[in-house]
Amino acid sequence: MPPGEGMAFELEMPAKARYVGLARLLAGSIARRLRFTEESIDDLKIAISEMCTNAIVHTGNGDIGKPPILVRYLTGNDFLTIEVKDQGPGFDPRSVLGRERIDLLGKGFGIPLIQSLVDVFECDSQPDTGTVVSITKYLRPETEES
Amino acid sequence: MNDGEREGAELDVVLEDAGRFSIISLCGEVDVYSAPKLRETIRDVVEKGNYNIVVDLEKVAFLDSTGLGVLVGGLKRVKPHKGELGIICSQEKILRIFRITGLTKVFPIYRSREELLASIEET
Repeated sequence: MPPGEGMAFELEMPAKARYVGLARLLAGSIARRLRFTEESIDDLKIAISEMCTNAIVHTGNGDIGKPPILVRYLTGNDFLTIEVKDQGPGFDPRSVLGRERIDLLGKGFGIPLIQSLVDVFECDSQPDTGTVVSITKYLRPETEES
Repeated sequence: MNDGEREGAELDVVLEDAGRFSIISLCGEVDVYSAPKLRETIRDVVEKGNYNIVVDLEKVAFLDSTGLGVLVGGLKRVKPHKGELGIICSQEKILRIFRITGLTKVFPIYRSREELLASIEET
């Protein structure tokens, strides 16, 4: 996968904890082919792990009959975007996006952690229609591996 | 893929004693799939009356907020007994997660097992 070539990959996975590693593995593999640094790859792997974990929790922790999670990987000239869509009950994004890390001791580190590791973080959630969380990380020519 | 465990994050947990500390050594990845194994180990240690715990993260290849949450949960278990939960870690990629979340101020961090043992000898 040469840098500069826009491509899209999709992974539809059961909403079960055991598959988070698979989504993480694919993110790392795509980012490595795009020549992100190892630090950026680690950032992306943590971010997608958090996103998938949240999606699984929202979708009912893998209860039988729960709908799958859709993970989309979009590559472009200088970026990797990853979207995670679940079909859980949804929530008000404003209730979590503004939280300070100091309030999060004990649980809820996930979203502040994602925000600190990626360049763009977006969350669209509506009651009863599920949640789409999207992150983008850019290649930085001066620091990324050539 | 069968319904086995190969596709999930693998995590080996080894428990040993070092003076007044119980050391929980981890090898592998700590995420939503594997973190319950760590949570159960910490709970077992505390239920046996050992309130000074150190989790060795030197061989951890991946740790996310679920793992951090388990460590914070462990800290909450030992604090009422005036215990301590520390970590051993010199890996920058893991330490960075503790810094971002402000947890370097919460957990005693030893850069190596030798540093922990030296600290035990001093007390």
